[in-house]
Amino acid sequence: MKNNLLKTTIVGFATLVAMLIGTSSCNIEQPEDPNAPSVDAIESDATISELNNVVTGMIGGMRDQVNIYLDDCGVIGRDYYRFTSADPRFTSDLPGTGDAILDNNTFYIVNPWSAFYRVIRNGWVLRHAIDNTTAPLTQEQKNGYLGIAKTLQALMFIQVSNLTYSNGIRVDVEDPDNYGPIVDYNTALDFIATLLDDGYSDLQNGGDAFVADLSGGFAGFNTPQTFAQFNRALRARVAVYQQDWGGAIDFLGESFYSLNGDLKAGCYIPYSTGSGEFANQVFISIPNQATNARVALNFWAEDAETGDLRLSKVVQRSETAVSGNLSSDYDVAVWSSQDDDICIIRNEELVLIAAEAQIQNGDLAGGENALNVIRNANGLDALTPGMTQSQLTDEMLKQRRYSLFAEGHRWVDMRRYNRLDQIEKQNADEDIWNAFPIPAAEPQ
Amino acid sequence: MKHFVRKLSITLLLIVTLTGAALAQLDVTGTVKNVNGEPLIGVTVAVKNTNVGTATDVDGKYSLRVSGTAATLVYSYIGFHTVEKAVSASGVIDITMEETTSNLEEVVVTGLATSVKRTNSANAVSQINSKELTGIAPPSTFDGALQGKFPGVQITQNSGAPGGGINVRMRGITSINSATQPLYIIDGVYVDNTSIPAGLNAVSQAAAGGSPRQFDQDNPSNRIADLDPGDFESVEVLKGPSAAAIYGARASGGVVIINTKKGTQTANQPQVLFNQSLGWQQILNPLGVRQWDEQKVAGFYGDGSSEIQNFLDAQSAGQLHDYEDELFGNHGIISDSRVAVTNGNEKTAFYASGSHHKEEGIVQNTGYTKTGLRLNIDHEISKNVEFSMSSNYIKSSADRGYFNNDNTGTTMSIALSSTPTWAQIGKMPDGSYPNNPYAPSNFLQSADLITNNEAVDRFIVGGSVTAKIVNTERNSLKLILQGGLDDYTFRSTAIFPKELQFEKDGNGTNGASIQGNTGNFNDNESAMLVHSYYGPKLTFRTQAGLTRESFKRNTQIITATQLIGSQTNINQAGSVATYQFRSDQLDLGGFVQEEVNWQDRVIATIGVRADKSSNNSDANELFWYPKASLAVNIAEFMQDPGKLNLLKLRVAYGESSNFPPPGALYTNMGSVIVDGAPGSLVNNQRGNNNILPERQKEFEAGIDIGFLQDRIVFEGTYYNKTSDDLIFLAQAPPSTGFTTKYVNGGTLKNTGFELTLDAEIVNTKDWLWNSSISWWKNKSEITELSVPAFATSAFGATLGTFYIDTNRSATQLVGIGPAEDIQAGDRYVVYGDFEPEFQMSFYEEVNWKHFTLSFIIHWKEGGYNVNLTSLLTDLGGTSHDYDEISLDPAGVLGNADYRVSQLGVSAGPWIEKAGYVRVREAGLFYTFDSKNLSSWTSNVVKGARIGISAHNPLNWFKYNSYDPEVSNFVGNGLASGVEVNPFPSSKQFMFNLSLNF
Repeated sequence: MKNNLLKTTIVGFATLVAMLIGTSSCNIEQPEDPNAPSVDAIESDATISELNNVVTGMIGGMRDQVNIYLDDCGVIGRDYYRFTSADPRFTSDLPGTGDAILDNNTFYIVNPWSAFYRVIRNGWVLRHAIDNTTAPLTQEQKNGYLGIAKTLQALMFIQVSNLTYSNGIRVDVEDPDNYGPIVDYNTALDFIATLLDDGYSDLQNGGDAFVADLSGGFAGFNTPQTFAQFNRALRARVAVYQQDWGGAIDFLGESFYSLNGDLKAGCYIPYSTGSGEFANQVFISIPNQATNARVALNFWAEDAETGDLRLSKVVQRSETAVSGNLSSDYDVAVWSSQDDDICIIRNEELVLIAAEAQIQNGDLAGGENALNVIRNANGLDALTPGMTQSQLTDEMLKQRRYSLFAEGHRWVDMRRYNRLDQIEKQNADEDIWNAFPIPAAEPQ
Repeated sequence: MKHFVRKLSITLLLIVTLTGAALAQLDVTGTVKNVNGEPLIGVTVAVKNTNVGTATDVDGKYSLRVSGTAATLVYSYIGFHTVEKAVSASGVIDITMEETTSNLEEVVVTGLATSVKRTNSANAVSQINSKELTGIAPPSTFDGALQGKFPGVQITQNSGAPGGGINVRMRGITSINSATQPLYIIDGVYVDNTSIPAGLNAVSQAAAGGSPRQFDQDNPSNRIADLDPGDFESVEVLKGPSAAAIYGARASGGVVIINTKKGTQTANQPQVLFNQSLGWQQILNPLGVRQWDEQKVAGFYGDGSSEIQNFLDAQSAGQLHDYEDELFGNHGIISDSRVAVTNGNEKTAFYASGSHHKEEGIVQNTGYTKTGLRLNIDHEISKNVEFSMSSNYIKSSADRGYFNNDNTGTTMSIALSSTPTWAQIGKMPDGSYPNNPYAPSNFLQSADLITNNEAVDRFIVGGSVTAKIVNTERNSLKLILQGGLDDYTFRSTAIFPKELQFEKDGNGTNGASIQGNTGNFNDNESAMLVHSYYGPKLTFRTQAGLTRESFKRNTQIITATQLIGSQTNINQAGSVATYQFRSDQLDLGGFVQEEVNWQDRVIATIGVRADKSSNNSDANELFWYPKASLAVNIAEFMQDPGKLNLLKLRVAYGESSNFPPPGALYTNMGSVIVDGAPGSLVNNQRGNNNILPERQKEFEAGIDIGFLQDRIVFEGTYYNKTSDDLIFLAQAPPSTGFTTKYVNGGTLKNTGFELTLDAEIVNTKDWLWNSSISWWKNKSEITELSVPAFATSAFGATLGTFYIDTNRSATQLVGIGPAEDIQAGDRYVVYGDFEPEFQMSFYEEVNWKHFTLSFIIHWKEGGYNVNLTSLLTDLGGTSHDYDEISLDPAGVLGNADYRVSQLGVSAGPWIEKAGYVRVREAGLFYTFDSKNLSSWTSNVVKGARIGISAHNPLNWFKYNSYDPEVSNFVGNGLASGVEVNPFPSSKQFMFNLSLNF
């Protein structure tokens, strides 16, 4: 009886286990992601339309976090204060009020750093895809894609290095599992310069037309030749960062620089309130509410020369906006709607680069001439001739302060000239930071 | 699969040993009654250690033929003490059964197809019946009916928004990034418990960028809230893999098994039950508003500010407002009606019910409506084949308002936080609202005009056929075929009209109409065989089965902005953004389990489940989940145990797992649109196509002791649960273009104790006092971490965050702070832990004659939250304790100034102790004498009960916000305990009437 029982149990159990294993003969189909295309598929063999999507993806990605980038540079460079009831750190950490310091794990560095590196990753997806694609493309057409990828990657590297400056950036990021070290600022600039030069050479060998459509923000710069001028404009900016004054003048010559041309001509990041688009998030309708405002420092308006047309970049408030110890009587009015594009680089900056390079290179007359172009365009008289190099440098920085107001330049400029201590503070307990820390998530 | 089942049944048929017919036999008949002499219908009468048994009929009568010359008959009935009676001759045996309040007579689930008496269970399984679930105070939603009732389970409400929304953790957190919510099974159907966001992020931009993919701050409800607890007979909780391993790959968060009410097959007595509850809810803990004076206004807005005059003007005009009261002051009417009809004859029984629940929230235009219909049928097809079906239709609609975190200052609560008492933002005579100069939004206008509705239509249907293939004295073989489906559509409608302050005049998107639509279809099928062998000493029960579960979801959210006129149709918009998420999962599995019972003295179980799933990186790889348990009833060995009637030692071990979250396998390109052209931008979340499921292993041991016929029962349990291969959405170096990546990278251990003492303290003719006291504590530790320590599920270290670090609690809360407070080797100061020190609940029921008083007190000791509501109200100048001086160690700064002074210096002020003691539920009822009632109403009304009840009527906590039970984030993993200006919780008071026809 007991033996029977045991046998029964054993046989029964064995049958059941056999049955269990039997289930494995019912196959489950390995699913693909039902929601989006995979990076692997695009990198291994992309179609032309997929390649074009990746190009558009880079430009689309460039729109993200520009508001935070501009707030970072704008608040630390004291173009403006950012008041918002939604997050106190705009008025504590960024202007360094009281004991507040910059944190390495907070949105103001993590978000723009991540967003810009994401565009760089998209650039690598594009570059890998170009290497592997079997789509019917000529080498010239492939060069066109590569030129776009490298130029836009370089632009992103410029922006991240502007934030973390002396703390360095990571430049070798091709393989996400096997990346290079954080390199110092000068090494980073050298890398960016080389990347731009590589891109320039690709563009020069890129034929007459891109396969990809660039967006409206690149109107006039949407062929390999004209996009190459944009590349050279960025290269000129990098050159003045490197204090390579002669180089800057040479690169300007290959760019769309035009001393007497339209100062607004240039490349823009496209924003729109259209379907699925990104709205310009730096724009706030006038008057700003004190709980959600970008307000110019009163110093900016007060230090302007009488009659400077650029004062239209701010609007006087009917009531002082206050947040803690910070206050202002002027709303920032650089952008006029949520559909306004945000400038990447325009002729106005190139003229100022020309002025700077000539002044620092000893061509004071050339520099003065370029500054007068800017002054005249903005309703100001020409400079009194005979200014010294140091006076012209002051004037050049001042013109940059007003021409590029709220566009993320003043902090970088004052830092380049070791003048952070000259940036105006409303209260003595504020700090002017030198650089953002590397985000906490970056292995050093 | 069917093929296998058939083959198996034939095999088993062949191998079953049929014992020969016995020579002698006894015929026993009798009647079973309760102590009042009323017949009991459906009492199980079984011959001990055999497969022979019957049930009493509508008159309480039974008859049974027993082979052999002597046997022991076992009479069992839920809610009554089991009676054993030895027989050695044919004849009449009448039995009187005594009621018991002890839950030891319950049966608890131990396998997919089987259950055991609680006294034989090797696991600490918690079970509550309908009386404990809904009897004290009728709940609004199922989730609200569970709190404080299960030791070892932490149930946290996300907010007070009507329609529910909870986070359930059984025995601590089991995963950091994957699902942590339990599996819900109702009448054998796997029911969905997704939280589907409404896409509010497009307006709130709570996750900056406004992409609807970032939706864990939309405060959606859980779909489990749809279920109507009034229909539930019992709810059973398998808290960890040691009990739940047989559910395999989905059981890592525990399993909640719900059985709904059924008709009684032999009743032949139609019964109609009618319940009506009527009451109201109000804000649980109003904080109050800052009391301003001229000096304070000047202090906050500046000496020369025109606000000083505005304040004085409003003050002299008597126009200072308590805006907290204006926004949250509604006393929302609640009405809950339900009718249930049940009847049955020998062949068929049914239970049918209809219910309607309607409540207004504490904020204007919020509320919840739910209508449910249920039909449960049990039918005996033949003597050996039974059919059972349960079906449920639910229609619900929840208006949840617009609250929680944002980055636009537009949610009602965040706009409130910066609006002082002298603001004049009320409705104007022409029906419009002035702009709120103190915030981007006029929250009174928002409350009036915004729609945020979740609507659900849902069918849950389950059915089973049980066939007794072999049914002899010593052997039984049952085939159970079971299936079920859960099919619903979920519609979210969020309308932000263009006249809102934050939508018009270029402040927003000129109106937004965000409409979501989700179709969800789950179905599950199983075929199971259960073979029982009743030996003279040993009982063997073998079961095996195959299971198939399929889960399909398709969510679409359309965000229309730049609305034309007052239109909300998505066609009538200048800009439309779309979002879609699909998931389609198929799991196949099987299990075998063997139980051996030696005369109720030693009960051993061993089993294994295998699962494969399309959610795994290799869809056809089988994952195995073993389990084993042993229970030893020492009292059964004793010759004379005296007053000790139960002494059981038990140990159990089991494993289960947790699928990688959807999308963990893939690195995707997201879609962007630039100038109307489509683009692909790499998602910043990096997939991993080698990812393994997380695996939980749990060991549990315990002791159960019962005295005085179970009048006093103690249960003590210790558990040790590890989660291996934890899937982290670990930080990636963002310079790689990815901010997060999926990795298997750690081990998490939870250990804890659960103690329960049930006692029938008084039991006299007029008095009955039952008490159940539970105490439980859990501790977690990250024992291994192969990724760098990382912050998660909050707003960064400046404000306090969860921080996953080796050898630390998984739920520790850390933040920046003074260097001297940072422990060696750490980056941050540890300020607290979300995990409570312990929790305790007291369930008391006192009956005096016709009165019943019952209540549940829930005590959570310790546990910390990140309270950012206080930060935002400080910055807005409106904190109720703004001017109080109780925090500054120097005794100089007011509380708000002190907290703000710590911003960027220390996260300490926002990581706050969040313990509480609260009366969860309380009810006082009067039950009418049924004989009187019958005579008064010419036999129409057979029973009646009236009473008053309340949810959360009394609360004691120091936590500086509306409710320590709160979560800004809804989703997987650690999402809990971080608050940003939530929809405040409410307390409810109800008057109840039930009639029985």
